[in-house]
Amino acid sequence: MSDRFPKTDFGRATSRSFHIQALLQPERMQGLGFGFAMIPFLRRLYADPAERGAALRRHLAYFATHPILSGYVLGVAARLEERRASGEPISEAAIDGAKRAMATPLAGLGDPLFWVTLRPLAGLLSVIALLVLPPPASGAPDLRVLLCPLFLLLTYNAVALPYRLAGVARGYREGDRPAALLRSLQLSERNAILERVGAFAFGAFLALAALVQGPAGAVRGGADEGGAAWALMLTPVALGALVGLAGRKAMPGRPVEVALAALLAGCVMAAWV
Amino acid sequence: MVGELIRVSLVGGILAVDRAAGWSLMLSQPLVGACLAGALINPGPEWELWALRIPLAVGGILQLLLTDPALPAAQAPRDTATASVVGSAVALLALPRLHPALAVSAGGILWVVIGVGAGLLSAVLGGWFARLHRPGGATVARAEALAAAGDMASFDRFYWAGLGRTFLVGAAWSWGGTILLLWAALSYLPRFAGELTARRAGVVFAVLLGAAAAAGLNAHVRGRRHGWRWAALGALVVAFLLQGLKVAAP
Repeated sequence: MSDRFPKTDFGRATSRSFHIQALLQPERMQGLGFGFAMIPFLRRLYADPAERGAALRRHLAYFATHPILSGYVLGVAARLEERRASGEPISEAAIDGAKRAMATPLAGLGDPLFWVTLRPLAGLLSVIALLVLPPPASGAPDLRVLLCPLFLLLTYNAVALPYRLAGVARGYREGDRPAALLRSLQLSERNAILERVGAFAFGAFLALAALVQGPAGAVRGGADEGGAAWALMLTPVALGALVGLAGRKAMPGRPVEVALAALLAGCVMAAWV
Repeated sequence: MVGELIRVSLVGGILAVDRAAGWSLMLSQPLVGACLAGALINPGPEWELWALRIPLAVGGILQLLLTDPALPAAQAPRDTATASVVGSAVALLALPRLHPALAVSAGGILWVVIGVGAGLLSAVLGGWFARLHRPGGATVARAEALAAAGDMASFDRFYWAGLGRTFLVGAAWSWGGTILLLWAALSYLPRFAGELTARRAGVVFAVLLGAAAAAGLNAHVRGRRHGWRWAALGALVVAFLLQGLKVAAP
């Protein structure tokens, strides 16, 4: 891969990139974590402690990108540091500029894919698995407690983990052509596909919830005398949906508060019932 | 109970690291956390069936309720990583202690509602707790000083200590939050024993399901390109499949 860096250095930098946000703070964001992840490369490049220290300080500056995709920037920075250490006239500003030029579009493309689409989708699919998998026969262990979380983890990491594991090496190899590297990641294309899968899965979830499990079943199961009318059963669900939709509009980015408002509305309605 | 609290705090610490330190393996998702808590807490042999079913339901509902398409930076700082662990732990630890006073035959729904409520409160309180322990300017100054000295080994140790602190904050909140909310449940719920009927628990549960569906709609359909069409297609496919299964069944 490189004359200067053995494969183990790439492995070490990749494993350190998993902790890139451990000292996340508003002034530098992931800057301290980026420096921490660069250490295997810097140790290899600079024998003199003063040079090492100066190189590490270069990478402690403000840095923010999507954590899953931070490896690509690490690879680019490692390549530039290597060239600088071998005497090429590469300034600190050039290294910082290259980092920013990669980090900003990676954040812009990575956030919608991983945070906005894939994470909710993985959660939704695991809840669908919970609805679809049959409860155990009496006495048998409830395997859903193992399978549903496993399904969530596999769904998310099947997409995300390859980016993480390949990031540093690919960034190093293809860092000279950042635009081509960004295009080859196909982040927006995958996001478009997963968005459709998410909407399809949500429709499937609603149909499953209504036709198989259903709030009706839940309320009926909880009724003392049973046999309550559908309309009566659907009223609390409609109230919850109303509170949920209005709350999301009034308090964007506050799902906990919206859920608490729904819980409160439920308690008020229950008291009235 | 001490052993269970230690296990809960260990899980909480790991989930906090997954969420805050950048692992982002999604161990910190509510369904995963709730199931881990369910697997580690044993409320006693007579409650064995509920020890897994209640966390599954708590995790499933929190998973949907806490789904939000906003980016992490645009979200209020809430500790959603440990919320499901604390919620499930409170529900499971309260179950054998409160059941004599709250003997409601609601198929476990009452305990799911208690777990979800505890989880949501834990997310708010845990968010405040985590904010108190966030790295600040002193952390940057220390890191800069170590780097300026060229002492990479010390910088490494300093960074690993920061990771350890993230773990400890998550573990401490999971432990303290479980004790606090369990105490609140044990103290206050028996006062409402006469009011807590199965029907009322079912109504609250159904409202939560409605809010969960709204969260899903907001995350997966609204604002998505052709979102409504794809959702309608998904619903139709499932309806046809279920109809086919019904016809095929003897």
